[in-house]
Amino acid sequence: MKLSTYIIRRTLMLIPTLIGLSIIVFALSRAGGINLVISAYINPHLPYQLQREQLINEFHLNDPIWVQYYYYMVGLFQGNWGYTRTPIYTGPVTDAIMIFLPNTIQLAIVSFIIAVIIGIPAGQASAVRKDSFFDQLTRVIAFVGISLPVFWLAQILSLAFATKTISPSFDILPLSGTVDQVLIAGVSWINAQGISSPTHVMMIDALIHGNLPIFFSALRHVILPAATLAFTTIAVIMRYMRASMVETLNMDYVKTARSKGIPERIVIKVHARRNALIPVVTVLGLTFAGLLAGVVVIETIFNYPGMGYWTVQAMLNYDTGGIMGTTLLFGIILVIANFIVDLLYAYIDPRIRLGE
Amino acid sequence: MFDKMSDSWKPRIENFKITMKILLKSPASAIGLIIVLVYFIIALLDQVDPYILGITTNVNTLIPNYVNTAPQPPSWLTNPWDFSLPFGTTYPGINLYDGIIKAIRIDIAFSLFVVVSGAIIGIVLGVFSAFYGGWFDEIIMRLTDIFFSIPYLVLVIALGVFLGRSLEILSIGLIILWWPIYARVVRGQALSIKEQTYVEAARASGVKNSRIIFRHILPNTMAPIFVQFSFDLATIVLALATLYFIGFAPSNSWLPELGFLSSIGYEYAIVGDWWTIVFPGFALMIFALGMNLLGDGLRDALDPRLRR
Repeated sequence: MKLSTYIIRRTLMLIPTLIGLSIIVFALSRAGGINLVISAYINPHLPYQLQREQLINEFHLNDPIWVQYYYYMVGLFQGNWGYTRTPIYTGPVTDAIMIFLPNTIQLAIVSFIIAVIIGIPAGQASAVRKDSFFDQLTRVIAFVGISLPVFWLAQILSLAFATKTISPSFDILPLSGTVDQVLIAGVSWINAQGISSPTHVMMIDALIHGNLPIFFSALRHVILPAATLAFTTIAVIMRYMRASMVETLNMDYVKTARSKGIPERIVIKVHARRNALIPVVTVLGLTFAGLLAGVVVIETIFNYPGMGYWTVQAMLNYDTGGIMGTTLLFGIILVIANFIVDLLYAYIDPRIRLGE
Repeated sequence: MFDKMSDSWKPRIENFKITMKILLKSPASAIGLIIVLVYFIIALLDQVDPYILGITTNVNTLIPNYVNTAPQPPSWLTNPWDFSLPFGTTYPGINLYDGIIKAIRIDIAFSLFVVVSGAIIGIVLGVFSAFYGGWFDEIIMRLTDIFFSIPYLVLVIALGVFLGRSLEILSIGLIILWWPIYARVVRGQALSIKEQTYVEAARASGVKNSRIIFRHILPNTMAPIFVQFSFDLATIVLALATLYFIGFAPSNSWLPELGFLSSIGYEYAIVGDWWTIVFPGFALMIFALGMNLLGDGLRDALDPRLRR
């Protein structure tokens, strides 16, 4: 099978998954009764009674369930995802996504980079020096990493680096938020809720407006949440890289390369590492799912205005519109992430598309 | 009758002995097993008679003390031989030792309930879909795809918002999300076992389908299930704690839960009362660590390639 055929086939497989996802979100939203559905679409700035009748007609809420599903999907495609009401933002869900999603993407990318930069070399090193002290140490760290409650790690790191509780002279990082409140007072491109424009990502906006103090403040604010988020991912990547590297180092072609007298450094770098990375790519997709779950907790602890923070605020405020939006969006992100990983895998490893 | 029983059990006991022997050879898995046993014993003792563990009240909720709400440090900080308050208290005047012991029982019971229910549903669906194949298999596998496409925390939160944020709804939501992994694991195993000669022989001699499935295929798919089971016990405890930490339950329910315990003291921990978050989180981490170490050891011990 050619790569293009595989891509087309894999793209077509997205359709049933996305439909299934929409059915789950739809079923959830209908499980709580008609009033909860209406409350998800009520515009908070307009009178309630007028809209109620209008919404029942628009979404056919008194009709059979499959008719309702049809009009729910029509609403989704027309951009009517309902309204969200949280303390930090009140308005259409689609606008809220534009505000919260960029921040989460920034956080996820930064922590993903941290995790890959640390995890892959550490896994490689512990495979090369198998059963050494370093190998045992990474094993312990990996086990602690997957057993640590993410929220507790966030708390402990906050105590250590952002307060005087554990280390009186070491409170070098900010405890929460995206930027120092002192710096943003009176800045025209940041609104009262602390949301910047035009991209809504504080670091990028600061660069656009050429405000370096705000840029560095924003950078300092992202370090602690990103490091916390990266910790579990490091553990997973490290272990997979180690397992894969150990297997590769025992392959015949690696032995051949060694017996030809090629320096060990080059054998590891050129012959072993490239092949060992192949299975690790699939794991990256799985860890991305874990990252998204971690985002919910970490953004809440650090008051970081992203998708996870929004989800929890929506939950605490019984904001049905916001919840429907975040569930659907998180699902779409994960489906697309898995899709990209599959394509990458097929690209790297021809056996996947040639096989079967 | 009795002889027949003991004959059929002999190989299984022998098998169990070999597994334990391999498991205990590695110090890490032995530590894991000990941790898990200690936690389960604590949970059982608390269920049977909490007074044995030194808990002063026989109530299933946390007991807030509004007279003296500020956290008090562990008693051994001031007097090394005083263990009246081993972990101190947290806001509002909750004895952390009582809270943590009760929380361990609630967390383990909840996790067991969710994982066992999810596993049973997943195992049955997985083995049937491997055995019969066809459209049934296709539907089950597409369903698992869809459930894997939503981060579980988000879906459980959504379920809570629409159906009510309670422990019951939470357990139902997690069971709905946790059967697919077992269905996948069992299906993969059963597909290869189905082709083995002894299954063919059973079929040729006219054994009923249901008997082939439950007697010949299912018992041989169990090894990876046990491994998955012990990893999942840790994951579910962490998930429950995480959800209670972010405020899934109404705050006046006072359910003893390790995540909830470490969330209520955080405001005080920031200003110096470190014990309010350190002890509950540590208790949680050690349990998850024990379960993960045990799961990892079981994976080696049950691996047929390593057994001989």
